[in-house]
Amino acid sequence: MKNLFIPLFACIACAVVVSFTAVSVRSMQDLNLENDKKSKILLAAGINSENIDEEFEKIEIIYVNFISNEFVEMDEKYDHIKATLKSDLSTLVPKEKDIAILKRMENVGPMYLWFDREDNIEKVVLPIRGYGLWGTLYGYISLASDLNTINGIEFYEHKETPGLGAEVENEEWKNIWKGKILYNKNGGVELKVVKGASSSKYEIDGLSGATLTSNGVSNMIEYWLGPEAYGPALKTVKETFSS
Amino acid sequence: MKPLTFKESKQLLFAPIIENNPIALQILGICSALAVTVKMDVTLVMCAALTSVVALSNFFISLLRFYIPENIRIIVQMTVIASLVIIVDEILKAYAYEASKQLSVFVGLIITNCIVMGRAEAYAMKNPPIRSFLDGLGNGLGYSFILIVVATIREIFGSGTFLGLQVMPDSYPTNNFLLLPPSSFIIIGLMIWVIRSISTSQIEEDENPLKTHTFKPLVAKKEASNG
Repeated sequence: MKNLFIPLFACIACAVVVSFTAVSVRSMQDLNLENDKKSKILLAAGINSENIDEEFEKIEIIYVNFISNEFVEMDEKYDHIKATLKSDLSTLVPKEKDIAILKRMENVGPMYLWFDREDNIEKVVLPIRGYGLWGTLYGYISLASDLNTINGIEFYEHKETPGLGAEVENEEWKNIWKGKILYNKNGGVELKVVKGASSSKYEIDGLSGATLTSNGVSNMIEYWLGPEAYGPALKTVKETFSS
Repeated sequence: MKPLTFKESKQLLFAPIIENNPIALQILGICSALAVTVKMDVTLVMCAALTSVVALSNFFISLLRFYIPENIRIIVQMTVIASLVIIVDEILKAYAYEASKQLSVFVGLIITNCIVMGRAEAYAMKNPPIRSFLDGLGNGLGYSFILIVVATIREIFGSGTFLGLQVMPDSYPTNNFLLLPPSSFIIIGLMIWVIRSISTSQIEEDENPLKTHTFKPLVAKKEASNG
Protein backbone atom coordinates (compact mmCIF):
# COMPACT_ATOMS: atom_id res chain seq x y z
CA MET A 1 0.00 0.00 0.00
CA LYS A 2 2.84 2.33 0.95
CA ASN A 3 4.43 1.77 -2.45
CA LEU A 4 1.33 2.95 -4.22
CA PHE A 5 1.15 6.29 -2.47
CA ILE A 6 3.74 8.09 -4.66
CA PRO A 7 2.43 6.80 -8.03
CA LEU A 8 -1.08 7.75 -6.96
CA PHE A 9 0.13 11.16 -5.94
CA ALA A 10 1.95 11.49 -9.30
CA CYS A 11 -1.26 10.64 -11.14
CA ILE A 12 -3.26 13.23 -9.24
CA ALA A 13 -0.55 15.85 -9.75
CA CYS A 14 -0.49 15.08 -13.49
CA ALA A 15 -4.27 15.31 -13.71
CA VAL A 16 -4.29 18.67 -11.93
CA VAL A 17 -1.52 20.11 -14.12
CA VAL A 18 -3.15 18.87 -17.34
CA SER A 19 -6.58 20.25 -16.40
CA PHE A 20 -5.09 23.54 -15.31
CA THR A 21 -3.25 23.97 -18.64
CA ALA A 22 -6.28 22.94 -20.66
CA VAL A 23 -8.52 25.42 -18.89
CA SER A 24 -6.06 28.30 -18.97
CA VAL A 25 -5.41 28.12 -22.74
CA ARG A 26 -9.04 27.39 -23.66
CA SER A 27 -9.94 31.00 -24.49
CA MET A 28 -6.91 31.32 -26.76
CA GLN A 29 -7.83 28.07 -28.56
CA ASP A 30 -11.42 29.19 -29.04
CA LEU A 31 -10.16 32.43 -30.56
CA ASN A 32 -7.99 30.44 -33.00
CA LEU A 33 -10.93 28.25 -33.98
CA GLU A 34 -13.11 31.31 -34.45
CA ASN A 35 -10.50 32.95 -36.68
CA ASP A 36 -10.06 29.73 -38.63
CA LYS A 37 -13.80 29.59 -39.31
CA LYS A 38 -13.83 33.24 -40.33
CA SER A 39 -10.92 32.74 -42.70
CA LYS A 40 -12.76 29.78 -44.27
CA ILE A 41 -15.86 31.93 -44.79
CA LEU A 42 -13.67 34.47 -46.57
CA LEU A 43 -11.85 31.77 -48.56
CA ALA A 44 -15.15 30.27 -49.70
CA ALA A 45 -16.12 33.72 -50.93
CA GLY A 46 -12.81 33.93 -52.76
CA ILE A 47 -11.15 36.41 -50.41
CA ASN A 48 -7.63 35.50 -49.33
CA SER A 49 -6.66 38.13 -46.81
CA GLU A 50 -4.55 38.47 -43.69
CA ASN A 51 -6.84 41.07 -42.16
CA ILE A 52 -9.70 38.79 -41.24
CA ASP A 53 -11.46 41.27 -38.97
CA GLU A 54 -11.19 44.08 -41.50
CA GLU A 55 -12.67 41.91 -44.25
CA PHE A 56 -15.35 40.68 -41.90
CA GLU A 57 -16.60 44.21 -41.32
CA LYS A 58 -17.66 44.34 -44.96
CA ILE A 59 -20.01 41.41 -44.43
CA GLU A 60 -23.65 41.75 -43.55
CA ILE A 61 -24.67 38.85 -41.33
CA ILE A 62 -28.38 38.09 -41.30
CA TYR A 63 -30.10 35.26 -39.47
CA VAL A 64 -32.80 33.04 -40.87
CA ASN A 65 -35.39 31.21 -38.83
CA PHE A 66 -35.81 27.92 -40.67
CA ILE A 67 -39.21 27.18 -39.16
CA SER A 68 -41.00 30.41 -40.11
CA ASN A 69 -38.55 31.28 -42.94
CA GLU A 70 -38.30 34.81 -41.56
CA PHE A 71 -35.23 36.91 -40.91
CA VAL A 72 -34.61 37.42 -37.23
CA GLU A 73 -32.33 39.48 -34.99
CA MET A 74 -29.73 37.49 -33.12
CA ASP A 75 -27.00 38.21 -30.62
CA GLU A 76 -23.55 38.63 -32.14
CA LYS A 77 -22.25 35.72 -30.09
CA TYR A 78 -24.90 33.28 -31.31
CA ASP A 79 -23.27 30.02 -32.46
CA HIS A 80 -25.56 27.99 -34.69
CA ILE A 81 -23.50 24.81 -34.25
CA LYS A 82 -23.69 25.00 -30.45
CA ALA A 83 -27.43 25.72 -30.73
CA THR A 84 -28.00 22.15 -31.94
CA LEU A 85 -27.06 20.95 -28.45
CA LYS A 86 -29.94 22.86 -26.85
CA SER A 87 -33.48 21.58 -27.18
CA ASP A 88 -35.06 25.06 -27.16
CA LEU A 89 -32.81 26.33 -29.98
CA SER A 90 -32.99 23.33 -32.28
CA THR A 91 -35.46 20.77 -33.58
CA LEU A 92 -35.24 17.11 -34.37
CA VAL A 93 -35.03 16.50 -38.11
CA PRO A 94 -37.59 13.87 -39.23
CA LYS A 95 -35.79 10.72 -40.42
CA GLU A 96 -37.17 10.75 -43.96
CA LYS A 97 -36.02 14.33 -44.51
CA ASP A 98 -32.66 13.92 -42.80
CA ILE A 99 -30.55 13.20 -45.89
CA ALA A 100 -27.46 14.90 -44.46
CA ILE A 101 -27.82 12.89 -41.20
CA LEU A 102 -27.83 15.88 -38.89
CA LYS A 103 -30.21 14.43 -36.25
CA ARG A 104 -30.81 17.91 -34.80
CA MET A 105 -30.97 21.13 -36.75
CA GLU A 106 -30.68 24.64 -35.32
CA ASN A 107 -33.78 26.85 -35.59
CA VAL A 108 -31.80 29.87 -36.67
CA GLY A 109 -28.83 29.93 -39.03
CA PRO A 110 -26.56 32.73 -40.27
CA MET A 111 -26.16 34.01 -43.83
CA TYR A 112 -23.10 36.01 -44.74
CA LEU A 113 -23.89 38.60 -47.42
CA TRP A 114 -21.73 40.95 -49.45
CA PHE A 115 -23.34 43.97 -51.12
CA ASP A 116 -21.99 46.17 -53.86
CA ARG A 117 -22.30 50.00 -53.89
CA GLU A 118 -25.83 50.00 -55.25
CA ASP A 119 -26.94 47.66 -52.47
CA ASN A 120 -27.25 44.78 -54.87
CA ILE A 121 -26.23 41.39 -53.62
CA GLU A 122 -22.68 40.51 -54.63
CA LYS A 123 -22.17 37.12 -53.05
CA VAL A 124 -23.35 35.02 -50.16
CA VAL A 125 -21.77 32.39 -47.93
CA LEU A 126 -23.81 29.75 -46.14
CA PRO A 127 -22.70 27.19 -43.58
CA ILE A 128 -23.23 23.55 -44.57
CA ARG A 129 -22.62 20.34 -42.76
CA GLY A 130 -23.44 16.68 -43.11
CA TYR A 131 -22.25 13.18 -42.49
CA GLY A 132 -19.51 11.75 -44.68
CA LEU A 133 -17.93 8.39 -43.98
CA TRP A 134 -16.41 8.78 -40.49
CA GLY A 135 -18.07 11.86 -39.17
CA THR A 136 -19.71 15.17 -39.87
CA LEU A 137 -18.06 17.50 -42.36
CA TYR A 138 -18.38 21.19 -41.54
CA GLY A 139 -17.93 23.77 -44.23
CA TYR A 140 -19.11 26.81 -46.10
CA ILE A 141 -20.46 27.24 -49.59
CA SER A 142 -20.45 30.52 -51.45
CA LEU A 143 -22.85 31.60 -54.21
CA ALA A 144 -22.33 34.37 -56.73
CA SER A 145 -24.67 37.35 -57.22
CA ASP A 146 -27.33 35.31 -59.06
CA LEU A 147 -27.54 33.09 -55.96
CA ASN A 148 -27.38 30.09 -58.26
CA THR A 149 -23.77 29.86 -59.46
CA ILE A 150 -21.25 28.36 -57.06
CA ASN A 151 -18.50 30.75 -56.05
CA GLY A 152 -16.49 28.45 -53.82
CA ILE A 153 -16.59 25.76 -51.14
CA GLU A 154 -14.47 25.21 -48.04
CA PHE A 155 -14.43 22.63 -45.25
CA TYR A 156 -13.04 23.51 -41.87
CA GLU A 157 -13.60 20.33 -39.92
CA HIS A 158 -13.99 16.71 -40.93
CA LYS A 159 -12.82 13.22 -40.00
CA GLU A 160 -12.47 11.74 -43.49
CA THR A 161 -9.65 9.40 -44.53
CA PRO A 162 -6.42 11.22 -45.40
CA GLY A 163 -5.67 10.84 -49.10
CA LEU A 164 -9.24 9.78 -49.96
CA GLY A 165 -12.16 11.57 -48.34
CA ALA A 166 -9.89 14.24 -46.88
CA GLU A 167 -9.28 15.38 -50.46
CA VAL A 168 -12.33 17.60 -49.93
CA GLU A 169 -9.61 20.04 -48.91
CA ASN A 170 -7.75 19.62 -52.19
CA GLU A 171 -7.39 22.99 -53.94
CA GLU A 172 -7.87 21.54 -57.41
CA TRP A 173 -11.05 19.77 -56.41
CA LYS A 174 -12.44 22.88 -54.76
CA ASN A 175 -11.68 24.82 -57.94
CA ILE A 176 -13.95 22.49 -59.93
CA TRP A 177 -16.90 23.89 -57.98
CA LYS A 178 -16.48 27.42 -59.28
CA GLY A 179 -19.08 28.26 -61.91
CA LYS A 180 -21.24 25.17 -61.38
CA ILE A 181 -25.00 25.71 -61.23
CA LEU A 182 -27.00 24.82 -58.16
CA TYR A 183 -30.71 24.93 -58.99
CA ASN A 184 -32.55 23.58 -62.04
CA LYS A 185 -35.36 25.45 -63.80
CA ASN A 186 -37.95 24.19 -61.34
CA GLY A 187 -36.00 25.54 -58.38
CA GLY A 188 -34.87 22.17 -57.05
CA VAL A 189 -31.28 21.46 -56.05
CA GLU A 190 -29.75 19.74 -59.07
CA LEU A 191 -26.03 19.94 -58.26
CA LYS A 192 -24.49 16.56 -57.44
CA VAL A 193 -21.09 15.05 -56.87
CA VAL A 194 -21.01 12.18 -59.37
CA LYS A 195 -18.79 9.16 -59.77
CA GLY A 196 -16.03 9.72 -62.28
CA ALA A 197 -15.81 12.83 -64.42
CA SER A 198 -18.60 15.39 -64.60
CA SER A 199 -20.44 15.95 -67.85
CA SER A 200 -22.64 18.98 -67.15
CA LYS A 201 -22.71 22.23 -65.20
CA TYR A 202 -24.78 20.46 -62.54
CA GLU A 203 -22.12 17.85 -61.82
CA ILE A 204 -18.92 17.79 -59.78
CA ASP A 205 -16.24 15.11 -60.31
CA GLY A 206 -16.43 12.59 -57.48
CA LEU A 207 -13.43 11.99 -55.25
CA SER A 208 -11.91 8.71 -56.31
CA GLY A 209 -11.90 6.14 -53.55
CA ALA A 210 -14.27 8.24 -51.49
CA THR A 211 -17.77 7.52 -52.75
CA LEU A 212 -19.37 7.86 -49.34
CA THR A 213 -17.71 11.21 -48.69
CA SER A 214 -18.77 12.39 -52.16
CA ASN A 215 -22.36 11.28 -51.49
CA GLY A 216 -22.22 13.02 -48.13
CA VAL A 217 -21.19 16.26 -49.80
CA SER A 218 -24.00 15.88 -52.37
CA ASN A 219 -26.54 15.29 -49.63
CA MET A 220 -25.46 18.23 -47.52
CA ILE A 221 -25.72 20.56 -50.53
CA GLU A 222 -29.17 19.21 -51.30
CA TYR A 223 -30.30 19.62 -47.72
CA TRP A 224 -28.85 23.00 -46.80
CA LEU A 225 -29.76 24.73 -50.04
CA GLY A 226 -33.11 23.01 -50.27
CA PRO A 227 -36.54 23.91 -48.86
CA GLU A 228 -35.80 22.67 -45.33
CA ALA A 229 -32.93 25.09 -44.80
CA TYR A 230 -31.66 28.09 -46.76
CA GLY A 231 -33.68 27.57 -49.95
CA PRO A 232 -36.63 29.86 -49.12
CA ALA A 233 -34.41 32.50 -47.53
CA LEU A 234 -32.19 32.62 -50.61
CA LYS A 235 -35.27 33.22 -52.74
CA THR A 236 -36.35 36.10 -50.49
CA VAL A 237 -32.88 37.63 -50.57
CA LYS A 238 -32.82 37.35 -54.34
CA GLU A 239 -36.20 39.05 -54.72
CA THR A 240 -35.33 41.83 -52.29
CA PHE A 241 -31.81 42.74 -53.26
CA SER A 242 -31.44 42.00 -56.96
CA SER A 243 -31.81 44.73 -59.51
CA MET B 1 27.44 9.96 -7.29
CA LYS B 2 30.12 12.47 -8.31
CA PRO B 3 28.99 16.02 -8.98
CA LEU B 4 28.22 16.85 -12.57
CA THR B 5 31.23 18.38 -14.30
CA PHE B 6 31.14 20.70 -17.27
CA LYS B 7 32.77 18.10 -19.48
CA GLU B 8 30.23 15.50 -18.47
CA SER B 9 27.28 17.74 -19.14
CA LYS B 10 28.74 18.60 -22.53
CA GLN B 11 29.05 14.91 -23.22
CA LEU B 12 25.44 14.28 -22.16
CA LEU B 13 24.18 17.10 -24.29
CA PHE B 14 26.16 16.64 -27.49
CA ALA B 15 26.95 12.94 -27.70
CA PRO B 16 23.43 12.06 -28.91
CA ILE B 17 23.73 14.45 -31.84
CA ILE B 18 26.23 12.47 -33.93
CA GLU B 19 27.97 9.77 -31.90
CA ASN B 20 24.92 8.28 -30.28
CA ASN B 21 22.07 9.66 -32.34
CA PRO B 22 18.70 8.16 -31.35
CA ILE B 23 17.53 8.01 -34.98
CA ALA B 24 20.75 7.27 -36.85
CA LEU B 25 22.33 4.81 -34.42
CA GLN B 26 19.48 3.39 -32.39
CA ILE B 27 16.91 3.71 -35.21
CA LEU B 28 14.22 4.92 -32.80
CA GLY B 29 11.41 7.39 -33.39
CA ILE B 30 11.42 6.95 -37.16
CA CYS B 31 7.68 7.25 -37.73
CA SER B 32 7.32 10.93 -36.93
CA ALA B 33 10.58 11.60 -38.77
CA LEU B 34 8.89 10.29 -41.91
CA ALA B 35 5.63 12.11 -41.42
CA VAL B 36 6.42 15.65 -40.35
CA THR B 37 9.43 16.55 -42.49
CA VAL B 38 7.69 17.91 -45.58
CA LYS B 39 7.82 21.53 -44.46
CA MET B 40 10.53 23.12 -42.33
CA ASP B 41 8.29 25.28 -40.14
CA VAL B 42 6.17 22.30 -39.10
CA THR B 43 9.32 20.26 -38.48
CA LEU B 44 10.74 22.93 -36.18
CA VAL B 45 7.56 22.96 -34.09
CA MET B 46 7.63 19.15 -33.87
CA CYS B 47 11.31 19.19 -32.83
CA ALA B 48 10.63 21.75 -30.10
CA ALA B 49 7.64 19.71 -28.91
CA LEU B 50 9.55 16.43 -28.77
CA THR B 51 12.67 17.94 -27.20
CA SER B 52 10.70 19.57 -24.40
CA VAL B 53 8.70 16.39 -23.76
CA VAL B 54 11.73 14.09 -23.62
CA ALA B 55 13.76 16.49 -21.44
CA LEU B 56 10.95 17.13 -18.96
CA SER B 57 9.75 13.53 -18.84
CA ASN B 58 13.31 12.42 -18.09
CA PHE B 59 13.53 15.02 -15.34
CA PHE B 60 10.28 14.09 -13.63
CA ILE B 61 10.70 10.35 -14.00
CA SER B 62 14.18 10.65 -12.55
CA LEU B 63 12.78 12.58 -9.58
CA LEU B 64 10.32 9.76 -8.94
CA ARG B 65 12.73 6.93 -9.69
CA PHE B 66 13.15 5.69 -6.09
CA TYR B 67 9.42 5.68 -5.44
CA ILE B 68 8.15 3.98 -8.58
CA PRO B 69 7.39 0.32 -7.82
CA GLU B 70 9.31 -1.86 -10.26
CA ASN B 71 6.28 -3.73 -11.61
CA ILE B 72 4.17 -0.70 -12.49
CA ARG B 73 7.01 1.54 -13.64
CA ILE B 74 5.92 1.65 -17.29
CA ILE B 75 2.44 2.82 -16.28
CA VAL B 76 3.85 5.60 -14.13
CA GLN B 77 6.25 6.63 -16.90
CA MET B 78 3.40 6.69 -19.38
CA THR B 79 1.32 8.85 -17.03
CA VAL B 80 4.08 11.43 -16.82
CA ILE B 81 4.81 11.34 -20.57
CA ALA B 82 1.16 11.47 -21.58
CA SER B 83 0.49 14.45 -19.32
CA LEU B 84 3.43 16.34 -20.79
CA VAL B 85 2.30 15.56 -24.34
CA ILE B 86 -1.24 16.75 -23.65
CA ILE B 87 0.13 19.97 -22.17
CA VAL B 88 2.34 20.52 -25.23
CA ASP B 89 -0.59 19.76 -27.54
CA GLU B 90 -2.87 22.21 -25.75
CA ILE B 91 -0.22 24.94 -25.82
CA LEU B 92 0.41 24.39 -29.54
CA LYS B 93 -3.31 24.61 -30.26
CA ALA B 94 -3.40 27.93 -28.45
CA TYR B 95 -0.20 29.57 -29.69
CA ALA B 96 0.84 27.78 -32.91
CA TYR B 97 -2.55 26.92 -34.36
CA GLU B 98 -1.51 26.52 -38.01
CA ALA B 99 1.42 24.24 -37.20
CA SER B 100 -0.65 22.19 -34.77
CA LYS B 101 -3.30 21.71 -37.44
CA GLN B 102 -0.70 20.39 -39.85
CA LEU B 103 0.94 18.20 -37.22
CA SER B 104 -2.52 16.89 -36.26
CA VAL B 105 -2.10 13.46 -34.65
CA PHE B 106 1.67 13.47 -34.61
CA VAL B 107 1.89 15.65 -31.51
CA GLY B 108 -0.31 13.15 -29.69
CA LEU B 109 1.81 10.33 -31.03
CA ILE B 110 4.88 11.68 -29.18
CA ILE B 111 3.47 9.60 -26.30
CA THR B 112 4.41 6.45 -28.19
CA ASN B 113 7.68 7.83 -29.56
CA CYS B 114 10.34 5.24 -28.73
CA ILE B 115 12.91 7.92 -27.91
CA VAL B 116 10.84 9.27 -25.04
CA MET B 117 10.05 5.85 -23.56
CA GLY B 118 13.55 4.58 -24.30
CA ARG B 119 15.33 7.41 -22.49
CA ALA B 120 12.95 7.20 -19.53
CA GLU B 121 13.50 3.48 -19.14
CA ALA B 122 17.21 3.34 -20.01
CA TYR B 123 18.52 6.53 -18.44
CA ALA B 124 16.13 8.43 -16.21
CA MET B 125 15.26 5.40 -14.05
CA LYS B 126 18.94 5.05 -13.08
CA ASN B 127 20.31 8.60 -13.01
CA PRO B 128 19.73 11.83 -11.05
CA PRO B 129 17.35 14.50 -12.34
CA ILE B 130 19.80 17.07 -13.74
CA ARG B 131 21.74 14.47 -15.72
CA SER B 132 18.49 12.95 -16.96
CA PHE B 133 17.26 16.35 -18.02
CA LEU B 134 20.47 16.99 -20.00
CA ASP B 135 20.30 13.50 -21.50
CA GLY B 136 16.73 14.13 -22.61
CA LEU B 137 17.65 17.50 -24.03
CA GLY B 138 20.60 15.93 -25.89
CA ASN B 139 18.46 13.19 -27.37
CA GLY B 140 15.84 15.71 -28.36
CA LEU B 141 18.55 17.68 -30.12
CA GLY B 142 19.79 14.53 -31.84
CA TYR B 143 16.28 13.85 -33.11
CA SER B 144 15.92 17.48 -34.17
CA PHE B 145 19.25 17.40 -36.02
CA ILE B 146 18.15 14.51 -38.24
CA LEU B 147 14.68 15.96 -38.79
CA ILE B 148 16.00 19.38 -39.71
CA VAL B 149 18.44 17.92 -42.25
CA VAL B 150 15.71 15.74 -43.77
CA ALA B 151 13.23 18.62 -43.86
CA THR B 152 15.80 20.93 -45.47
CA ILE B 153 16.41 18.45 -48.27
CA ARG B 154 12.74 17.62 -48.71
CA GLU B 155 11.47 21.18 -48.70
CA ILE B 156 14.17 22.65 -50.95
CA PHE B 157 14.19 19.86 -53.51
CA GLY B 158 10.59 18.76 -53.02
CA SER B 159 8.67 22.00 -53.23
CA GLY B 160 11.48 24.42 -54.11
CA THR B 161 10.95 26.54 -51.00
CA PHE B 162 12.64 26.96 -47.63
CA LEU B 163 10.59 28.03 -44.61
CA GLY B 164 7.89 28.92 -47.12
CA LEU B 165 10.14 31.23 -49.16
CA GLN B 166 10.92 30.48 -52.79
CA VAL B 167 14.59 29.46 -53.12
CA MET B 168 14.67 27.52 -56.35
CA PRO B 169 14.23 29.25 -59.71
CA ASP B 170 10.71 29.19 -61.12
CA SER B 171 11.78 26.73 -63.79
CA TYR B 172 12.54 24.14 -61.09
CA PRO B 173 10.00 21.31 -61.37
CA THR B 174 8.81 20.26 -57.93
CA ASN B 175 9.77 16.74 -57.00
CA ASN B 176 6.67 14.92 -55.84
CA PHE B 177 8.56 11.91 -54.60
CA LEU B 178 10.32 14.03 -51.98
CA LEU B 179 6.95 15.20 -50.71
CA LEU B 180 5.90 11.63 -49.93
CA PRO B 181 6.92 9.93 -46.66
CA PRO B 182 9.06 7.15 -48.25
CA SER B 183 11.58 9.74 -49.44
CA SER B 184 12.62 10.54 -45.87
CA PHE B 185 13.23 6.84 -45.33
CA ILE B 186 15.79 6.99 -48.10
CA ILE B 187 17.31 10.26 -46.88
CA ILE B 188 17.65 8.89 -43.35
CA GLY B 189 19.23 5.74 -44.78
CA LEU B 190 21.76 7.79 -46.70
CA MET B 191 22.50 9.88 -43.60
CA ILE B 192 23.15 6.73 -41.57
CA TRP B 193 25.53 5.60 -44.30
CA VAL B 194 27.41 8.92 -44.22
CA ILE B 195 27.56 9.03 -40.41
CA ARG B 196 28.78 5.44 -40.16
CA SER B 197 31.43 5.84 -42.80
CA ILE B 198 32.81 8.83 -40.87
CA SER B 199 32.62 7.33 -37.38
CA THR B 200 33.37 3.71 -38.10
CA SER B 201 32.83 2.64 -34.48
CA GLN B 202 29.08 2.73 -35.19
CA ILE B 203 29.25 -0.06 -37.74
CA GLU B 204 27.60 -3.09 -36.25
CA GLU B 205 29.01 -6.55 -36.44
CA ASP B 206 27.27 -8.72 -39.00
CA GLU B 207 24.96 -10.91 -36.93
CA ASN B 208 24.17 -13.41 -39.66
CA PRO B 209 27.12 -13.49 -42.03
CA LEU B 210 26.79 -15.57 -45.18
CA LYS B 211 29.09 -18.54 -45.07
CA THR B 212 31.22 -19.14 -48.11
CA HIS B 213 30.35 -22.30 -50.06
CA THR B 214 28.07 -24.17 -47.70
CA PHE B 215 27.60 -26.84 -50.37
CA LYS B 216 30.00 -28.34 -52.85
CA PRO B 217 29.31 -27.16 -56.38
CA LEU B 218 27.90 -29.97 -58.50
CA VAL B 219 30.60 -29.52 -61.09
CA ALA B 220 33.34 -30.10 -58.60
CA LYS B 221 31.63 -33.29 -57.40
CA LYS B 222 31.36 -34.65 -60.91
CA GLU B 223 34.97 -33.89 -61.64
CA ALA B 224 36.00 -35.55 -58.43
CA SER B 225 34.11 -38.75 -59.24
CA ASN B 226 35.50 -38.80 -62.74
CA GLY B 227 39.00 -38.31 -61.52
